Amino acid sequence: MSAYDLVVIGTGPGGYVCAIRAAQLGLKTAVIEKRATHGGTCLNVGCIPSKALLHASELFADARDHFGHLGIEVGTPKIDVAKMMAFKDEGVSGNTKGVEFLLKKNKIDAIHGTARIAAPGQIEVKSEDGSNQVIEAKAIVIATGSVVAPLRGVETDGKVVVTSDEAIALPAVPKKLVVVGAGVIGLELGSVWRRLGAEVTVVEFLDRILPGMDAEVAKQFQRILGKQGFAFKLGTKVTKVETEGGAAKVTIEPAQGEGEAQILEADTVLVATGRIPYTEGLGLDRIGVKLDERGRIETDAHFATNVTGIYAIGDVIAGPMLAHKAEDEGVAVAEMLAGKAGHVNYDVIPSIVYTNPEVAAVGKTEEELKAAGTAYAIGKFPFTANGRAKANGTTDGFVKVLADAATDRVLGVHIVGPHAGDLIAEAAIAMEFGASSEDIARTCHAHPTLAEAVKEAALAVDKRAIHM
Amino acid sequence: MSEEIRADVLVLGGGPGGYVAAIRAGQLGLDTILVEADRPGGTCLLRGCIPSKALIHVAAKFAGMEHAAREPALGIGLSGPPTIDLAATMLWKDGIVDRLSGGVTALLKRAKVRVIRGWGTMRDGKTCEVAEADGSTTTVRAGSVVLATGSEPAALPSLPFGPKILSSTEILSLRERPRRLAVVGAGYIGLELGTVFARLGTQVTVIEAADTILPGFDAELAAPVARWLEAAGVTLHLGTKASGFRETEEGVTLALARGDGSVEELTADLVLVAAGRRPRIGGWGLDGLPIDRDGPFVRVDETCRTSMTGVYAIGDLVGEPLLAHKASAQGEMVAEVIAGRRRRFAPAAIPAICFTEPEIVSVGLSPAEAAARGLKTKVGRFPFAANGRALTLEGGRDGGFVRILANAADHRVIGVQAVGTHISELSAAFVTAIEMGAVLDDVAATIQAHPTLGEAFHEAALAALGHAIHA
Repeated sequence: MSAYDLVVIGTGPGGYVCAIRAAQLGLKTAVIEKRATHGGTCLNVGCIPSKALLHASELFADARDHFGHLGIEVGTPKIDVAKMMAFKDEGVSGNTKGVEFLLKKNKIDAIHGTARIAAPGQIEVKSEDGSNQVIEAKAIVIATGSVVAPLRGVETDGKVVVTSDEAIALPAVPKKLVVVGAGVIGLELGSVWRRLGAEVTVVEFLDRILPGMDAEVAKQFQRILGKQGFAFKLGTKVTKVETEGGAAKVTIEPAQGEGEAQILEADTVLVATGRIPYTEGLGLDRIGVKLDERGRIETDAHFATNVTGIYAIGDVIAGPMLAHKAEDEGVAVAEMLAGKAGHVNYDVIPSIVYTNPEVAAVGKTEEELKAAGTAYAIGKFPFTANGRAKANGTTDGFVKVLADAATDRVLGVHIVGPHAGDLIAEAAIAMEFGASSEDIARTCHAHPTLAEAVKEAALAVDKRAIHM
Repeated sequence: MSEEIRADVLVLGGGPGGYVAAIRAGQLGLDTILVEADRPGGTCLLRGCIPSKALIHVAAKFAGMEHAAREPALGIGLSGPPTIDLAATMLWKDGIVDRLSGGVTALLKRAKVRVIRGWGTMRDGKTCEVAEADGSTTTVRAGSVVLATGSEPAALPSLPFGPKILSSTEILSLRERPRRLAVVGAGYIGLELGTVFARLGTQVTVIEAADTILPGFDAELAAPVARWLEAAGVTLHLGTKASGFRETEEGVTLALARGDGSVEELTADLVLVAAGRRPRIGGWGLDGLPIDRDGPFVRVDETCRTSMTGVYAIGDLVGEPLLAHKASAQGEMVAEVIAGRRRRFAPAAIPAICFTEPEIVSVGLSPAEAAARGLKTKVGRFPFAANGRALTLEGGRDGGFVRILANAADHRVIGVQAVGTHISELSAAFVTAIEMGAVLDDVAATIQAHPTLGEAFHEAALAALGHAIHA
């Protein structure tokens, strides 16, 4: 039994990237994964499969709703859910096999089984066949990610009342879908089934959708989703879900104050009220690794837990539950363990909602700036005034640039609109450089691109947009 | 009837250079007149970038449906192959052009720019005579003049434009899909429009005098496009000139002269001549002005001043690259210069995009250009085949990649290029990095959202540093 320099528990985007970076830097590295395939939530049941379904369902909705006026005749398209799922599965397997290949290429030992940290430097792995082995490591990185948060009083059964894990694999289009939670996951998966013909009602406890994102963007986005046929019950809580004969009755009440209960009927109920860190079975309490009040592993600025030699990254620690945040932390902790200076800039982590149109953001929202008492200037530009958006027939939404009122430094960029997820890359790069809105405004943007709207929003900060 | 009016600034030409110059001048409080013979918008908006992108959009959607009908891998089932009603498509496209041109008119009005619709002829460096449609003439006298007359399709002596030999202008308004289309010139205009018609089911043949397609982009970038064209059934005749033609009942028969001296005939219903564009220097009085030239272009300094005091020139008229966004950037700058601000036109990079399938983006120097300048460089490449987002968008199988080029000594990024499906919107991230003076390590340290195509930019920088994660 040889000791490893590093053992990473979990091969989601945080874990496998951490292992690869460590191996690149010469550390003898192993990973432990409970699932049969690598890639974690993101590749297996999260980002990648949902994006594949979003892509396919968007094409279908396009064909059904938007082709006539373009001069394209397609008759009435039909959806074959099984085939769409096969396309998704192909994308997932391509990605997870890719990770397997990368681990091999970097000479990382991949061990399949469930890990329990017996002591600092010692991990017990229980394989599916019941065999046990003990692995020794100078450093352990916990990258076990997160799982779907349960909703109090609501039991999921994986068939009628489901989580995102099953909502990416429904066997047929539900006639009526109730989504509990108007966050990223609920709205993305709600979009998939809405486009395929489901009646979708989204129930949200707060009085707004996309909590945490810029309120103005969320408001506009809600309007757009409304036009697509989404129904919203905001400021509403689910008190009970009863299932009978393959259907559900969802009881809802006003979140605050008195009000009458109402019953929503559904074929499928998607519980998407968030995710919680996953540390079950790791044995953390036994070895004394401290968790915070929300069950997240406490770490210092170097991702070290309070127990020497044990580190943690990704969804299992504080911060946004985003694959790219986990990856960056994985790289940083690997570099630190190899004696280099790793660093994560938490002020510039972009986030994206892959609906149609997309929503993307980086930096501070208006609400955050107000709360912090920062004086700021706003520049906004609508996609209705952008040539490429017009040529593509996708003019819903706008770009909003928030800049420091005194220094003009860009503090946040918020986009609801076509390809917002691609456009946010420019904003993130500019913000990494501490760019001013004038820097973005003076950068030559190609014509005709949607990115010109980012430039115009930057110009609008100084009240001198050209095309508005 | 003749009238004489005065203004601070006269802009001749209402394309993306001219109208932006006029709006910016108006914003800065200058009394501005824009002279334009057509609706505002210029080549770009009326018969170039915008209508072509609208058709590219429709053709891509159509192709997606053909694919779905043939091989319903996405689970979208059609009762039969899709059909195209090109007249309806053109109506949709015309609607977009109308709205955008109308929008520019409104913007000019809001900036208090006076627009005179008519053909302007410069009489001297401060005077322009405008012949209007109703036969009247207006004489405009201005303190500063901005020449923004743009460019026009270059005709080939062997293939004069006619009813069956078209420029990009006419082909963007075809009401019926030709069965066979010959495209002369494999530059970006020829290939973008050739791709549109190939996707709509036209049999497309491309004839190019040079030995490669897309002379503006290097071979590595052009290769995925060449592969796509071949797979789409487009025939390429490289190293071949269209030396003559005769009209027949069937259409047009071209004589194709190869480099080895052999000649072959090719019959098509229509011919698109896309042999480049040349500055529009005739017909508006330039010859009567003592203005220096630079080859076919008007010579300007870095503030877009011509050799004549008070006369500025911008856009396609003043040289390569002939791109709308370069013209707009110069227009914005020239208005500020006229308003007394200290500005010069010195962008670190001007992005160029080719909207073929897959798309190509080029910003800054290519490896060959860097080598020609004697620069020692580090190059990093990352394939879209290893990018999760590309796979979910059915991309990644087209041989696409991102390529980043940096000085070997200090890692300063000097060029970024990419080829791949849906990658045109990455151009802004590339150009921003170069404008900010990024080094490879900066691009590597910037978090890109997952799953996005932009992750390939991050990985390319890592690759140049020797440690890509996903390759």
